[in-house]
Amino acid sequence: MSEQKPKTRTWARWVVLAAILLGAFLFTGFFGIGLNIKPIMPEVFLPGEALSNTPIFGIEGFFITNTFWGMVGADLVVFLLAFGVYRGVKSGKMVLTGISGAVEALLEALQNMTEGTAGKWTKIIFPWFATITLLVLAANWLGLLPGVETIGLLHEGHGEYAVREMNFLGMEFSTIWDDSAEMAADAHGEEAVHAGEEEYHGAAIVPFFRPVSTDLNFTFALALVAVVMVQVIGFRALGWGYLTKFWNTKHFFDKPIFGFIDFGVGLLELVSEISKILSFAFRLFGNLFAGAVLIFVMGSLVPFFVPAMFYMLELFVGMIQAIVFGMLTMTFMAQATQSHGDHDEAHA
Amino acid sequence: MEALGINLPFLLVQIVNLLIVYTVVAKWIVGPVGSMLDKRRETIAQGMEDARVASEARANAEEEAAKIKAEAQAEASKIVSEATERAQSAGKDVKTAAEAEAAKAKEKALADVEAERNQMLGDLRGQVAALAIAGAQKLVGEALDEKRQHALLSDFFAGVKAGKVVVLDGDFKGDAAEVTSALPLTDAEQNTVKKDVLAKAGAQAVTFRVDPSILGGLVIKVGDKVVDGSVAGKLEGLRQNMR
Amino acid sequence: MDLAAATILGKLIGAGLAMIGAIGAGAGIGIVTSGAVQAMGRNPDAAGNIQTNMILGIAFAEAVAIYCLVVALLILFVF
Repeated sequence: MSEQKPKTRTWARWVVLAAILLGAFLFTGFFGIGLNIKPIMPEVFLPGEALSNTPIFGIEGFFITNTFWGMVGADLVVFLLAFGVYRGVKSGKMVLTGISGAVEALLEALQNMTEGTAGKWTKIIFPWFATITLLVLAANWLGLLPGVETIGLLHEGHGEYAVREMNFLGMEFSTIWDDSAEMAADAHGEEAVHAGEEEYHGAAIVPFFRPVSTDLNFTFALALVAVVMVQVIGFRALGWGYLTKFWNTKHFFDKPIFGFIDFGVGLLELVSEISKILSFAFRLFGNLFAGAVLIFVMGSLVPFFVPAMFYMLELFVGMIQAIVFGMLTMTFMAQATQSHGDHDEAHA
Repeated sequence: MEALGINLPFLLVQIVNLLIVYTVVAKWIVGPVGSMLDKRRETIAQGMEDARVASEARANAEEEAAKIKAEAQAEASKIVSEATERAQSAGKDVKTAAEAEAAKAKEKALADVEAERNQMLGDLRGQVAALAIAGAQKLVGEALDEKRQHALLSDFFAGVKAGKVVVLDGDFKGDAAEVTSALPLTDAEQNTVKKDVLAKAGAQAVTFRVDPSILGGLVIKVGDKVVDGSVAGKLEGLRQNMR
Repeated sequence: MDLAAATILGKLIGAGLAMIGAIGAGAGIGIVTSGAVQAMGRNPDAAGNIQTNMILGIAFAEAVAIYCLVVALLILFVF
C-alpha cells in the first residue's frame, strides 16, 4: 500500500496538468490549432428556475425548480451519511473509518464547541447544530460538482445565444454558443465546467441541479426554523420568564430611567429576533449566490486554471458558512437558555 | 418576494424537509455518534482510572518497600549500637579489672613500703633508745640501770606497762580494732596488746599501724571510738590545760 | 436615452452604491478579528470562549453588509 500511494499521486499530477493543457487547447487556440471556443457570459437568475410549467397540486406559482432537486440531492447525501454512520456505530467499532469517520470527527469538534458554550443544554441544542451544519455543508458542496448548474433543459425563447445540435459519443444533445464569432463547436462536459453556466437567448439552459443554498426559500426556511427553535428552547429553559426578555417591566416603576431603558432594550430584542431571521437567511444565500456568480464570471473571463482557484475558495466558503450558520444558531440557543439577570445588573 | 424567488409552498416544503433531516440526523447520526463518543470517553476515563489505581498501588508498594527498608535500617543500627555498647561495656570491664589490678598492685607496693619503713623504724628504735639512755646517763648520772631504762623506754613507746595496755579503760565494743604506735611494737608487745584489746573490747581482729607523729604511747581505735593514749595527745591535752 | 436604458443604468448604479455599506462591515470584521486574535495570543486558554464571541461579533457586523446586499438585490431584481 505504501508503495502505491506516491504512484497514484504522480499519476494524478499528470492528469491535472493534462486537463489544464486541454482547457488551454480548447478555449484559446493557444497552440494555433485550438478550437477557439469563446466563453459565454452567463445570465444570472436569482430565483430557482422552474423545470416545468405545470404547477404541482395545482398550486399557483409552485413549480418543481432546479433548487428542489438540489435539496433532494443534499438530503440524499445527509441520509447516506446517516446510514453509513448508523451502520458503522452498530457494527460496534470503537472508531469509525472512511467518510463516517470524518463525519464523526466533525461532530466531535462541534459537540465540544457546544459543550463549551451551552453546558447542560448540549443534549437539546447539539442536534440542531449538527443538522444545520451537515445539511448546509452538503448543499454547498453539491453545487461544486461538475454538471451542476451547467447541464439542463434548453429553454428556447430567451437568452442571446444560438442553439447548436451536437453529437458526442453517439448521444444527441444541444448546446448554446456565442455565434457572434466564428468557431467550430464542441461541447463535452468538461468544457462546460470550465465555461461556467451557460444559459441564454435564442435559448437558455435551465440546469437540472442548482445548489439549494442559492435559493432563498431554503435559507429562509433554515433561518425561520432556527429562530423559532431558539424561542422554543428559551421557553423550555426559563418558562414564561423567557418573555421578560422582550417585555421587561421589572424595574419600570422603582427605577424609572433605567427601567425605561430596559423596557426599550426588551423591545429592541424583539426586533433583533426578526432581524436574525433576515441576516441568517441572507448571509448564507448571499455568500453562496455570490460564490456561484463569481465562478460564472471567472469562468467566462479566464476559462481554464483560474476557476480552479475559485473552486477552492468556494470549497472553503461553503464549509465556513455551514459552520457559521450552525454555530450562530447554537450560540443564540445557548444564550436563550441563560437567564438575563446579569443583563439587568449591567444597568442597575 | 416573487422576484426574490420566495414562494410560500416551496418555503413550507423546505421547512418540512428540514424537520425530516433534523429527525434523521438526530436519530441516526447524533444519537449513535453521541453514545459512541460517551462510550469512548468512558473507556478513556476507565483507562485513566485503571492507570491511576495502578500507580497508586505502585506508590503503596514503594511506600511499603521504604517502610521495610527503614525497619531493616533501624534493626541494623540497633544491632550496631548494641554491639558498640557491649564492646564499650566489655572495654569498661577490662578497664575496671585493670584499674583494680593497678590499685591492688599499688596497695601492695604501699604495704611493702610501709613494711620496709616499719622495719627501718624498728631498727631505729634500738638506736633511739640507746641515744636516749646515753643522754639520760649524761644528765642524771648512772641512776638507773640499763634494764630499768629499757623498760621505761618500752613503756613510753609501746604504752604497755607490766603486760597491760595502759590506756585501755572504759568499755569498747567493736569488731575490728586498730592500734597505732609511734614505733613498731615488738612481737611480745603486739601479743600483749592484742590479747588485751581482744579481751577488753571483744574485737576479733587487731591491726597495727606505725605513725611517728604520735611520738609515743598508743592510739587504739575500736569500732567508731578512739582512745588516745599517745604522747602527742597527752602533750596536746597539757597544752590545752595550760592555756 | 430611453426610459428602459435609464432604468437599467439607475439600477446598476444604485446597486453598486448600496454595496458601499459593506465597507464598514469589512472594517468592523477586521477589527473584531484582530482584537480576538490578540486576546487569544495573550490568553490561549480562553481561546474557545473568545472564538465564540468573535464569531458572534462578526455575525453582527456582517449583518450590516447583508442588509446592503439585500438592498442591492432588491434594487437589481425586484424594482
